[in-house]
Amino acid sequence: MAPNREKIILKIENMTVRYGPIFALKKVNLKIAQGEIVVLIGSNGAGKSTLLKSIIGLEKPTEGHIIYQEKEISLWGPDHITRFGIFLIPEDGGIFRTLTVEENLQLGAYHFFSQYQERIEVVIKLFPVLKERLKQVAGTLSGGEQRVLAFGKALMSNSRILMLDEPSIGLSPKYIVQIFETIQALNQRGYTILLAEQNVIQASKYANRIYVLENGQIVLNGNASDLRNHPRIKEAYFGS
Amino acid sequence: MKVIIAQIINGIALGSIYVLLVTGFNLMFLVGKIIHFAYPYIVVISMYACWGLLKLTNNPLIAVFGTIISSILLHIMVEPLFRHINTRKGPIDINSSFIVSLGIALILTEIMSHQLNYGFPIAFPLNWMSSSIFLEINLIRISTGQLYTLLVSILIALALFILIYQTQLGRAFRAIAENISKARLQGIPILRLNLLLYGIAGLLGGIIALLFSMLIGSASPWLGEYIALKVLAVAIVAGLGNMKGGLICGLVLGIVESLIIHFLPGSWSNALAFLMMLFVILIRPRGIFNKNSIES
Ligand SMILES: Nc1ncnc2c1ncn2[C@@H]1O[C@H](COP(=O)(O)OP(=O)(O)OP(=O)(O)O)[C@@H](O)[C@H]1O
Ligand SMILES: [Mg+2]
Repeated sequence: MAPNREKIILKIENMTVRYGPIFALKKVNLKIAQGEIVVLIGSNGAGKSTLLKSIIGLEKPTEGHIIYQEKEISLWGPDHITRFGIFLIPEDGGIFRTLTVEENLQLGAYHFFSQYQERIEVVIKLFPVLKERLKQVAGTLSGGEQRVLAFGKALMSNSRILMLDEPSIGLSPKYIVQIFETIQALNQRGYTILLAEQNVIQASKYANRIYVLENGQIVLNGNASDLRNHPRIKEAYFGS
Repeated sequence: MKVIIAQIINGIALGSIYVLLVTGFNLMFLVGKIIHFAYPYIVVISMYACWGLLKLTNNPLIAVFGTIISSILLHIMVEPLFRHINTRKGPIDINSSFIVSLGIALILTEIMSHQLNYGFPIAFPLNWMSSSIFLEINLIRISTGQLYTLLVSILIALALFILIYQTQLGRAFRAIAENISKARLQGIPILRLNLLLYGIAGLLGGIIALLFSMLIGSASPWLGEYIALKVLAVAIVAGLGNMKGGLICGLVLGIVESLIIHFLPGSWSNALAFLMMLFVILIRPRGIFNKNSIES
């Protein structure tokens, strides 16, 4: 789906997030249009996870606004925000290891349980591996299968914006390509994607736009095709 | 032999009360993230409520509903205290929840020993006790109270296990039990479910109070401590938070106690029961039914 640049679905204005005295984010501004793939890059501790967590409502900004579909959501809790269409797949996938695959998917549809049947069919069509494993305890899945389940669980919810925190971490190169292709496929199905990544080379191939975070501040942003050749990025991430 | 069978029947009835108590305790531990030492105390004070209502109205129906409602209300009343501890920033502090619960237990004991019935033990009316004989074969007697206790316990335990393992609410409870921050991120409304949990624990506590009063026919300010120590011990011996283990260990404790009472002076039953538990803990520090590894 071609992004609709006119329609801003999520807007962050001057957002500051603190952990006690530490400023994890300083006056961050960010806009995402419907249907885009936006990638946040930044080294360890730059504030990527914090940014995603504050959008989902796990961290509360001390200053600034988060506006989703014209509504101020910065004071909402995660239960409210997930119900209204934003979902975060955290770094560890967020799956419940002691529950079965099926139970994980059922919880994914927590706020939309009446639509469970329709949704599970869509998810199983997209990720057929899950079908044979519905009764398996999620903690016993392989690492790769757990990623797939994390995607499946996210799609069981009613989300429009899918946020992913470093989905490629700890995967073999072949699997990384698969993950990014899945993300692209989901984007083509209508999901708007916000992705935190350190794997700039891969991520920039799939992204529409890129934001670069350093020490809690956005230092650079623009179209992926332009930024890939930006000297600062080349120097910092491509090692040339 | 007949005496032994009779004692085993007594033991099963008593044990099923322990099972329900441990199940409520474990539920609060797993989902509520608290060590609710005062849980049995709230059951005992609900027995006082039952006794008072029977005295005032002489109407068993009012007593039944009144007991259950007062138990639910008591649980809902203490919920904000624990919520305050558990929603502070940082990791959940299960130790301070234990101290808070201990405080609640002490306050309830004070109330019972000073304010209620001048501190004297209470006795339920004979017709309430349902000590009428349901079945008698030679020396083996089953009273209607025992029968009720057994049947209702089985039903309640079954209902709870279905709730926890078969329903969406139960899945959400187990998700919170596994990892509360993952559950929050998933969009599970933690606070609302927490309140619901206290409501369920209160309902369960009210039913236990009714059964216990029918079974033993009396209560005293010290009863709370007496059973709370056992509930804590059973939960730890079975493995904290292990529902199925609690079921088995609760029943076993009831039976063992009843047998000991028959063969030794009554005062020995506690000491022996705890000696056995000590032994188990030495062999399996994380409980009989929990995996004895660091991973959890
Ligand atoms: N709960 C917390 N308490 C205190 N400081 C925190 C907390 N969480 C994060 N921080 C700090 O905030 C800063 C940003 O952390 P964040 O996790 O957002 O970085 P990140 O960009 O996701 O890094 P990484 O790539 O390593 O995951 C770091 O300096 C971190 O130490
Ligand atoms: Mg991170």
